[in-house]
Amino acid sequence: MIDFARVQKELQECSRDVEASGIKVAPKSDNLGRLTGTIPGPVGTPYEGGTFQIDITLPDGYPFEPPKMQFATKVWHPNISSQSGAICLDILKDQWSPALTLKTALLSVQALLSTPEPGDPQDAVVAQQYLRDYQTFVGTARYWTETFAKTSSLGVEEKVQKLVEMGFPEALARSALESVGGDENLALEKLCSG
Amino acid sequence: MENKDNNKTPSTEESKMQRRYDNNKKTPSPKHLQQIEEDNVREEEDFLDEFQCSVCLDLLYKPVVLACGHLSCFWCVFHSMNKLQESRCPICRHLFNHFPSVCQLLHFLLIKMYPIAYKRREREVGEEEKKIGHFSPQFVHHPFGSHSGEEMDFPSNSLHFPIHPQNKLCSDGCFSEEKEPSSLGNFAKAIAHREDNMKIVPSTLSSRSEGTTNAAIENCNLIRTESGHGIKTQASVADLVCAECKKLLFRPVCIANLVSSVPCKGFLGVKSVEVCIQMGSLSVCLVLEKFLEEHFSEIYADRRQVFAKQTDCSSSAHTQQLGTQSSSVSATVYSSWIFGNGPEVHIGVGCDSCGMIPIIGKRYKCKDCSEEIGFDVCESCHSNPSEVSGRFNQQHKPEHNFEIEQPQCFGEFIQMLNLDHSDDSDDDGNDFPAPVLSDDALQDGEDSSNDLSDVSASVLSVDVAPDQKDDPNVS
Repeated sequence: MIDFARVQKELQECSRDVEASGIKVAPKSDNLGRLTGTIPGPVGTPYEGGTFQIDITLPDGYPFEPPKMQFATKVWHPNISSQSGAICLDILKDQWSPALTLKTALLSVQALLSTPEPGDPQDAVVAQQYLRDYQTFVGTARYWTETFAKTSSLGVEEKVQKLVEMGFPEALARSALESVGGDENLALEKLCSG
Repeated sequence: MENKDNNKTPSTEESKMQRRYDNNKKTPSPKHLQQIEEDNVREEEDFLDEFQCSVCLDLLYKPVVLACGHLSCFWCVFHSMNKLQESRCPICRHLFNHFPSVCQLLHFLLIKMYPIAYKRREREVGEEEKKIGHFSPQFVHHPFGSHSGEEMDFPSNSLHFPIHPQNKLCSDGCFSEEKEPSSLGNFAKAIAHREDNMKIVPSTLSSRSEGTTNAAIENCNLIRTESGHGIKTQASVADLVCAECKKLLFRPVCIANLVSSVPCKGFLGVKSVEVCIQMGSLSVCLVLEKFLEEHFSEIYADRRQVFAKQTDCSSSAHTQQLGTQSSSVSATVYSSWIFGNGPEVHIGVGCDSCGMIPIIGKRYKCKDCSEEIGFDVCESCHSNPSEVSGRFNQQHKPEHNFEIEQPQCFGEFIQMLNLDHSDDSDDDGNDFPAPVLSDDALQDGEDSSNDLSDVSASVLSVDVAPDQKDDPNVS
C-alpha cells in the first residue's frame, strides 16, 4: 500500500519551493501512483535550456521501495537509455532510502545530467561516443536537447500543425495535446500508442 | 473498540477526526487529500520540524532512537529494516542490527505537547495495526501528566499485556549493539535491578523531590509554544529528566526505553553509557539534544558548565566523535553462514528481548506463546533472561519454556521468496519481505507443500498474514 499521505506531503513541499529548485512533480491522474516530474537541464551542460519530463511510477511498497523513474523526454546521456529513457542511478535501485523523497531523487537525476558516469553506462553507444569523441557527444546531446526538450516555446497551434504534418488528424492531435497538458512529445507518444 | 476517552478533546473535534479518518479510508485522490491536509492545519497543533519522521513525513509516533542517534517511528523503522542482513539508518545509512525499543520519554513528551496530532496518529496507526494483525508496544499513561484520565486506544483484538510498574520500565531489555554477546543479558538484568531508581517515565513529583532538582527553576522554565489556537503545548524539565541523576538531560542517550545523560556514568550498573558510546553502539539522540538546547537553553548551558568541570578535556573530546564507528557485527557473518562456515543466521527472525535481527547464533523459540508472530530470543538473552513482553505486544511470561530452532536453509528461503511473488496480488505489495521478528512460520513451512504459500506469505510480509488466516477477526 502506497503511503498516499506522504506522497501528498511531498507534492506540497515540492510546490512550495518550485521557484528555487525548478523541480516540479505533478500527478498524472487521480490516484497519485503515477506522476510526472519536470527538471530543468543544468546550466553549463549540453542540456542547458531544456526541460526534461520524467515518468514516475510509485511501487506498492513506496516509500520503502524506490520510485520507478524513466525519462519521457528523449535525452542523449551515457547513463540514460536513448531508446527507453531508463535511468542508471544507484539511489533509484539498491541505494534507495525511505528518507529520500521524489524531489531529492529528481535532484539526483538532475545532478546525473551534469556528471555523467561513462564507466557504468546505461546506453553503451552514448558512453562509447562520450569516451572516444567527446566533442561529437556534446554536439549530439545539445542537438537532442534543442529538438526534444525545448518544445515548450512553440504555441499550441504550431504543435498541432506539427502533429498534423506527421500525418495525424487535426482533431485527434488537438485532443491528445490537451490530455497531456500541451507536451508535444507526450502527445506524439499517446497518438502512436493509439 | 474499547474507547475510554475522557480526554480534553471536545467531542466535536473527536467526530471531525473520526470523519477525517473515515475519509482516509477511501481511495485517496489529490483533491481529497488536499482537503484532509487543510483539516489538519486547522485543527492540529503545528509540530516542530525536529519531530517530523523523515520516513512518513508526519509527526513521530512511538519514536525509536537508532544507534546513530536518528529518530523515526516504530513501524517506519521496522519497515525500513533489511531482514537478510544488517539494516541501514534511513537518514545516515549507519549500519545497525538491533531493532531498538520505543523511547518512552519521547513518546510521552509528544503526547503532552501535541495531544490532538498524536491522537490522530494513534488512530491511524492503530487501524493499520488491526489490519496487519501485529501490534506495536502499548504503554500506560503518564500518571501525573496533563492527560491523566486518558487511556490509549487498545485495539479490541490486541493482546494487551497488563503492565505493572516493573515491566513497564524494563520491558524490552537492551538495545545497544554489544561486542561481547554475554553482556546483552547483563544489561537487561542491570535494568531490572535498578528499576526502582528509574522513574523517568513517568517522572512524578515525588521522584523529583528525591532528586536535587530545584522545583523553582522548573516552574519558571515551562515552555509554551503558541499556535494559532493559543497556548496548547508545554514541556517542563520534569518531562526531560535523566534517569540517573534526576536532573535535566544533558547529551541524552536512549538505552532500551530509558534515557540518560552521557556524563552520568554507571547508569546501567554493569556498563557505563560512555563505554557504550566509545564502542560505537550508541549515540546522543540528536533531536532531543537540539530540543533541549533550544527550549531549556539556560539550564542546558548550566549543565554543560557543570559537566565541563567534572570531565577532563581528553575524555570529553573522545565522546565528541560519536557513532562514527561501524556496527559490531561484520557483514561477512551473514554471507559466511550461507557457505556453511559461520554462525547460524536466522533469516527474517529477530530477538524479542534485545531486538537483534536477524538472530545470529542459536535461536530459542517460546513453546507457550500463542501469538501468530511468535516469541524468540537469541542465545545471550536466553541465558540471561529478563522480564520482557514481546516487541509486538506478545504475552510472554517468564515461566514459559523455550526450544532451540534450527535456521531455515537459505535455498528454501529463496524458494519462499519466489512463491510469495507469485501470489502477492492481494497483499500490500511489498515486493521484498518485511522483516518479521520471531515469526514461527519458517519452520512450519517444511511440513507440507500445501501450507507453503500461506506460510511464506506470513513469513515474508507481516501484512499478508491476516488476509489469509484471520479474515473474520480483522474486518
